[in-house]
Amino acid sequence: MKKQDLINFELDIKKIYESGKIKAPIHLSGNNEDQLLKIFKKVNNKNDWVLSTWRNHYHALLKGIPANWLKKQIIKGRSMGIINKKHKFYSSAIVGGIIPIALGLAKSIKLKKEKSKVWVFIGDMTFETGIFHECYKYSKNHNLPIKFVVEDNGLSTNTPTNETWIKKSKIPKGVYYYKYKRKYPHHGTGGWVLF
Amino acid sequence: MVRVVGCYFNTMKLKYKNELIRSMKFLGKKKDTIFIGQSIKFTGNAIYNTLTEVPNKKKIEVPVFEDTQMGMSLGLALNGFVPITCYPRFDFLIVAFNQLVNHLDKIKFMSENQFNPKVIIRTSIGSKHPLNGGVQHTQDYTEVFEKVLTEVKVVKLKEPKDIFYNFKKAYHDKTKCSYLFIEDGDFYNSK
Repeated sequence: MKKQDLINFELDIKKIYESGKIKAPIHLSGNNEDQLLKIFKKVNNKNDWVLSTWRNHYHALLKGIPANWLKKQIIKGRSMGIINKKHKFYSSAIVGGIIPIALGLAKSIKLKKEKSKVWVFIGDMTFETGIFHECYKYSKNHNLPIKFVVEDNGLSTNTPTNETWIKKSKIPKGVYYYKYKRKYPHHGTGGWVLF
Repeated sequence: MVRVVGCYFNTMKLKYKNELIRSMKFLGKKKDTIFIGQSIKFTGNAIYNTLTEVPNKKKIEVPVFEDTQMGMSLGLALNGFVPITCYPRFDFLIVAFNQLVNHLDKIKFMSENQFNPKVIIRTSIGSKHPLNGGVQHTQDYTEVFEKVLTEVKVVKLKEPKDIFYNFKKAYHDKTKCSYLFIEDGDFYNSK
């Protein structure tokens, strides 16, 4: 999967959404292709787990989920919670909800002495929540095979994270972090769609 | 005879707790089970006393983070474990409502049955005798949970005879659904 493939996938979904065929919210990705392509070079697509959010299309594609399967799920209205067992991919539309689940997966991997890892992708507002901090602390102190990635677009829906927290917390050791500017609105495509 | 805060109980007649111990011993012998909760390795609540026959290596003692504990239980189940996740009081399970309702109860639907994790949840209505724990430690929310949960089966353990049968049934349930078992703290000392 190359940068342009990712961009084209979302453009395709945008077109389908604007035709009124997707009767559920979509959260398109964009402007973070380079960062994700770099991070996913470290992900073992066969063995590792990836846990993502409502904005999960890029993560799913880079995890190796076939574009056609993903597209069908999105058309069925499942964009916000893409789940694929074969590809060890889980996402959720509840803020912070994936983090404790990832922790349990990482604990199970350690108990079973497996070689895999768990990758957790979260936004900058989720990073500030208590649930992240308790799970990060637990995973670090128990040396669990889990990697957190903070994708900072500065917004939670349309609320600026800095407006609510005044300042952002320091990124802890071992946490991947990158900043980007959102290409698409929080959900939808920015245009009026007649269903 | 055992003296507990001024009251005498005939332990020979108390089957409720013994049936719980028997059930946990049964589950503890299964290869894929794992016990998770606070005060499961260390004394501090009634549930601890029902886990005496479970080896410590099968127990994950966790901090007080109820919602995280429920999410962790789901995560363990996604990778093949059958977690027995323990919440000493019903009042504390409320704190885990998010993971229970938004994730565990929805995962079959969300994954279109790709994932059918089995989590066995234990909780207990706090006892009122001989000490009454007050409104934050003794509530029974069974009806609320029955209304909210659509996939997780809710089972109230009223009689000693129901206990082993239901835990065994939950473990072997081929529909692979999760269970919430509601015990009653007062029955530990009265039935």
